Amino acid sequence: MQKKYKRSFDQIQAIVADTERFFAEEKIDESLRMKVDLSVEELFVNMVSYNTETVKDILIEMCRINGGIEVSLTDYDVERFDPTAAGEVDIDAPLAERTPGGLGLYLVLKMADSIHYEYHDRKSKITFTNIAAE
Amino acid sequence: MFEIGFNDSGQVAVSGRLDAAQATTAQEFLDAVGDQCVLDLGGLEYISSAGLGVLLRTHKRLMAGDSALELVNVNKHIADIFRYSGFDKLFIIKAA
Repeated sequence: MQKKYKRSFDQIQAIVADTERFFAEEKIDESLRMKVDLSVEELFVNMVSYNTETVKDILIEMCRINGGIEVSLTDYDVERFDPTAAGEVDIDAPLAERTPGGLGLYLVLKMADSIHYEYHDRKSKITFTNIAAE
Repeated sequence: MFEIGFNDSGQVAVSGRLDAAQATTAQEFLDAVGDQCVLDLGGLEYISSAGLGVLLRTHKRLMAGDSALELVNVNKHIADIFRYSGFDKLFIIKAA
């Protein structure tokens, strides 16, 4: 699956529907849906929120791999931002010290079985995999 | 589809997907809750960090007034997200 989406949170519903359809067509283990939905949303929202210097659509690609799925999100004409280098979140911190910031990328890194970032020609691409437990 | 409102027990019932597109709706509703609040998450299918942020902001506001946000009917998928994010240590959580 390859599809471009406008830079708007309103696109999340369409992304979820397309992901659901792809899982069904490719017979991908449904136990991975929550992780994939969450990682795609977090990365998409991050691009929309912070790469404000571009108006270009965001490309989402999904392909079936052995035992799971590989997903890539590509943002065009943007500065380098490597989500895999995102700072740690102290999930043991007391309530007074907790803030929502950074939690999204932390969850992506926590749930991905592998994750890879590449940047060239002002093109920012993040790829992650999720593999079903045997 | 996301829905939030009071149920017959006076709890705030949340259902559907609480994602970045729905976070503002949820935050506006919960900002109007001024006292101890029980959130029935039995119908919640999905939550992202945007939704977690709504819960965290509301919980902190209520705690500042000696109240709290209590989460009930939490299914396994949502409980996993709470555990990954450390929310299981911050909230009173009751499983479904």
